Amino acid sequence: MAKLFEIRDIVFSPGGGKRQVRVSGTLDEGSFMGVRGPSGSGKTTLLRVLARLRGAGEGQALLEGRGWSEFTPVEWRRKVHYMSQKPVIFDGTVGQNLRMPFGLAAVHGDTAFDGSRVSAYLERLYLSESILEQDARTLSGGEAARIALIRAIIVAPRVLLLDEPLAALDLRAASAVTDLVCEWACEEPGRGVVIVSHAGDIAALPGISYVETGVEEGGSK
Amino acid sequence: MNNGIIPISDVQLALSVSLVLVAGGISALLRLGLLNSLLWGTVRTFVQLTFVGYILKYVFAANNLWIIAGLIVVMCFIAARASVKRTPNVPNYPVTLAFWSILASTVLVGFVVVRIIINPEPWYSARIVIPVFGMILGNSMNGIALSLDRLYGEVRSRADEIESLLAFGATPWEAVRDCVREAVRSGMTPTINSLMVVGLVSLPGMMTGQILSGADPHEAVRYQIVVMLMIAAAVALGCLLLVGLSYKRMFTPDGALKAEVSSSKK
Repeated sequence: MAKLFEIRDIVFSPGGGKRQVRVSGTLDEGSFMGVRGPSGSGKTTLLRVLARLRGAGEGQALLEGRGWSEFTPVEWRRKVHYMSQKPVIFDGTVGQNLRMPFGLAAVHGDTAFDGSRVSAYLERLYLSESILEQDARTLSGGEAARIALIRAIIVAPRVLLLDEPLAALDLRAASAVTDLVCEWACEEPGRGVVIVSHAGDIAALPGISYVETGVEEGGSK
Repeated sequence: MNNGIIPISDVQLALSVSLVLVAGGISALLRLGLLNSLLWGTVRTFVQLTFVGYILKYVFAANNLWIIAGLIVVMCFIAARASVKRTPNVPNYPVTLAFWSILASTVLVGFVVVRIIINPEPWYSARIVIPVFGMILGNSMNGIALSLDRLYGEVRSRADEIESLLAFGATPWEAVRDCVREAVRSGMTPTINSLMVVGLVSLPGMMTGQILSGADPHEAVRYQIVVMLMIAAAVALGCLLLVGLSYKRMFTPDGALKAEVSSSKK
């Protein structure tokens, strides 16, 4: 499998403290990379650094061999999408929330909203079609998490950075989400997933490799 | 000859202090802790206005374009400084940005009013220019302070949404557009409210002043209409300029939300 994404010697300070973490790793097409480390070790920070929502002290990430400095921040985030642990819901209906990214120039220019795809994903995640008309602020935590995931994958990023996507889900929904993300990553070439997860068994995900945030630069844990 | 103005003697002026004593008495009775501020405010009002009276007398007599321009620049700087101090959500905001926004909006609108609408002889007549610019500044100052404070408050409270938009590939402008809209709306609301109730609930100070000094009420009303509209234009322009200059300061060169306004400081 071709190499899709590489973390090359990225150094950052979780929480802005003195502790520095150095991370390297590679992600192949259609594969998963798990981020491991104890609480507070910087797993979320790493994902935010990879999405260029936060600066790194050193190093860079590469997408298909091109360093992030070769992309504008907007181009990079369009291709390397970060989904936060707490699902972000905007005012309006669920349908409007799902269409929201398509109002952005960067998304509107290269991807069209596909209603039939959304319907299929809703069904896969045990959500009824009528939820599209529901006020998004009334969603439960688990529903919001699934809607946020659908919104993240329908904009077709190349690399999906998922922060605890299963945390708010029951076993059945978690299993459906895992299956859907696996299928999404494998159905087209040039896709991959970096995932932080305590829940579920991510060891079974296809081609899983790991990076550690629990190791400080210099080697001490 | 006093052009219809009923002069106020020193004794009468001193008598007006008794009005503050009423407010001070209430403050003391209810233990509001405002007595010292009231007294200090009264002293400052006397000193500042007397001082300004002397300056205006000199400026009006000189009627020199450069002296007037210099005075306006100083007034803009003081207004900019006062407005950034009134923004609890915005620590250490640079006065220069507020200054340029206030200066640009005030000069643009003030020039149109003085040169095109009122058109005195000479056009920079200090008797017209100073009060007109003063009224614009007084209102712009409040407007931009409200806008700036609201902008930072909105961005902080909606940081999750903004970062989510950025993560989808939004530009900083796309990500904060709604916050900017709210900020400008907030800055303009008092001005729009005053447009709605002027003459019904309140008689504006300038019009009242003209009537007190013996002017024809119809003439005073015409002036007041011009003043109200120029204030609306200047406040809108000032808010828009300042918010437009400010939102980019909340982002890093990479277009990410800075840690001080971000929801996640990790």
